[in-house]
Amino acid sequence: MIDFVGKKNVFIILSIILVAASLVSIFTKGFYLGVEFLGGSEIILSVNDVVDEAYVRNVIKNLAPEFENARVTQIRSIDDPKDITKFSIVVSPLDEKGKLRVYSGEEKDMVSKKIVEAFKEKGKVANVIGFNETSGYAAKEIKNLTWKAVVFTLLAILLYITLRFQFVFGVGAIVALIHDVIITLGFFSFFNYELNVAAIAAVLTLIGYSLNDTIVVYDRIRENLKRARGKSIENIVNDSINQVIKRTINTSLTTFIVIFVLLLFSGNSIKPFAFGMTIGTVVGTYSSLYIASPVVIKWIKR
Amino acid sequence: MKENKVRGVITLIVIALAFVSLLWPTSNGYRGFASLFNRIRLGLDISGGARIEYKVDIDKSVENPSQIAEDVWTVLRNRLDMANYTEAVVKQTFREENTFIIVEIPGATDTARAEQLIGSTGILWFGQVVDETSTNPKIDPELTNEAKREKAEWLLDREGKKWYLVKKEIANISSLKLVSPKIVEAIPQVDRNNVAGYVVTFKMDKAYVDVFKRITEKLYVPEELLNQGGIAYKQALKKRLAIVLDNRVQFAGFVTAKITDGSALIKGNFTLDEAKQLAAILKSGALPARLEKVSSGWVAPLLGKDIIEASIKAGIVGVVIVLVYMIVFYGVMGIVADIALLYNTFLLLGILAVTGSILTLPGIAGIILTIGTTVDGNIIIYERIKEELRKGSSVKAAISTAFSKSFITLFDANLTTIIAGLFLYYFGTGTVKGFAITLIIGVLGSLFVNLIVSRFFLELFSGGIKVKSVGKGGAKA
Repeated sequence: MIDFVGKKNVFIILSIILVAASLVSIFTKGFYLGVEFLGGSEIILSVNDVVDEAYVRNVIKNLAPEFENARVTQIRSIDDPKDITKFSIVVSPLDEKGKLRVYSGEEKDMVSKKIVEAFKEKGKVANVIGFNETSGYAAKEIKNLTWKAVVFTLLAILLYITLRFQFVFGVGAIVALIHDVIITLGFFSFFNYELNVAAIAAVLTLIGYSLNDTIVVYDRIRENLKRARGKSIENIVNDSINQVIKRTINTSLTTFIVIFVLLLFSGNSIKPFAFGMTIGTVVGTYSSLYIASPVVIKWIKR
Repeated sequence: MKENKVRGVITLIVIALAFVSLLWPTSNGYRGFASLFNRIRLGLDISGGARIEYKVDIDKSVENPSQIAEDVWTVLRNRLDMANYTEAVVKQTFREENTFIIVEIPGATDTARAEQLIGSTGILWFGQVVDETSTNPKIDPELTNEAKREKAEWLLDREGKKWYLVKKEIANISSLKLVSPKIVEAIPQVDRNNVAGYVVTFKMDKAYVDVFKRITEKLYVPEELLNQGGIAYKQALKKRLAIVLDNRVQFAGFVTAKITDGSALIKGNFTLDEAKQLAAILKSGALPARLEKVSSGWVAPLLGKDIIEASIKAGIVGVVIVLVYMIVFYGVMGIVADIALLYNTFLLLGILAVTGSILTLPGIAGIILTIGTTVDGNIIIYERIKEELRKGSSVKAAISTAFSKSFITLFDANLTTIIAGLFLYYFGTGTVKGFAITLIIGVLGSLFVNLIVSRFFLELFSGGIKVKSVGKGGAKA
């Protein structure tokens, strides 16, 4: 038997520190946003040869700091000849304050020239045929998920758990959920990890994972509460956690394995997803053991 | 065991259906293992798609051009979401003071099909028909003069056969204009008076109800007058209402009742498809500006082919490690968990194929969560079985008790996830909506797999469980 409940204050303090640190980082430092969110400048490049994205990425990566994380996609118009490949290169140049800035007309000429020269060095003829400002499409889509939607989702979960368990359990699950999301986002902010569409998918997945994990622990507490009337609530919670700990460890470990392998070996734009899920799995497991359950104890006692 | 036979039959039928849906012949050309994915529509990020660039044609006199571009974005986003193309990307770009909108639609390499999905690129407006002809007015100076006199323009009808002379300002009153009204509801319905035809009913947003009421007051023609003929009828012919879209008259007809609540019925001898399309365009919103196609073509996978290949390999390695881990940890039961995991993955892919949902990276995130919940469900059940065995139950009894006790856990845990998914689907657009779909399908699938499929295989392999548990735990058989 491991004493999960006895040291609960230590872990609650640890969580408060982590959440506070995450919030500070999110609000002062902010996020390193991917081009899908930030938008930026879109350069349409045409190369008189058949090359792929990896080649282009390699040629342009050292031109300027923002080119290192450029999104390179091949595009083709209906009437383009076969021996020409065209690419859309999106870069998000930042100013000293880390805000997105727009290239001036002169800069556009300079950047275009640099790209053409870089290709010339490799013996390829390239032309910049378009230079646009582009908005981040994902920002708009996420904007549509307003606070109202978030609040309604949480209320629905609260209502369901209240009906199936007790009100305090609903509160505990939601506290754990918010805790997990804030800390995961905090990691993105603190480690300057790119927040892109894939990372948002990871955060959404985390919501499902965290809820699932918390409910399994709660279910045991509910079952044991019915059986052992005389026992103290601390003991019941502690017994319950001990009964499901093997399952929690095995589940978390299996999910963690898939995600961690993905984090090690996946390509650049998928890494934020794997990173978010890795943090999310650890935090989600921790919170259902040390946050969601202790919260319930405190409330039931009163 | 009769019950278990039923489970076995269901297990076989469901997976057979999933494979039929996956392997049904299609024109897509993967071979070998990859042919399993032929029927799954892949998202822009994985497979690329059609790309069309439009210039937003905003009137120079307009006060807030960026708001109009924003509204165009919303309308297109809604149209694509409604056509179930939640994974399409709509983005704005700017150059030389002009706004462009780029629409990228997954899977569709045929840009004509993509354009059809986007629908009308013109403005929707209501007008007054003052005359009609079947000769081309451009070659008849008389008709051209008439248009000038009436301050109206000649527009072709839907079928391209008839020309209508249409005024934008009803009865020449400048405030009686109805351009790009917001329509909250539009439904195609069977025409009760005409067996083969369809009508479209629609309801306007509150903001336009008043203008529409005043317009219908001006154009109102009592029904008895239409049957009289003569001069009165000729007068009435100049009071018809037209709905114009893409510079074509979609509908021209009499207003036989004053419409005070903004809901009306359009009768145009539509076929079902025409009625559906008109309803979709009305409902998804009228564009506040005309779109001019600048270029069309395709876009390669947004993530890059190299990145996808590396990530798929990593994913497979991860899953194989999980499969081995489960067998090492749970023995025979681990094999059942592995079967359940693979079963649910193929089931999910089969459902994606049959429903025509689009698989994207966020969708794959949903699948990974599904793998998690399937394995989790199995682990919950196995730990219960072990517990029961330690208490001294027989294997059969342990399995039975474990399932009835685990049911509540799985039900509550999965249903809360589904509730979260439903809300994400309802409130989200684009990517978020797509993720919610895979999440809901996957969690439902994992519930089915845990309760039916795993149970079938566990009962089938229960002999194997007995030997190991007794040896290890020392429980009485």
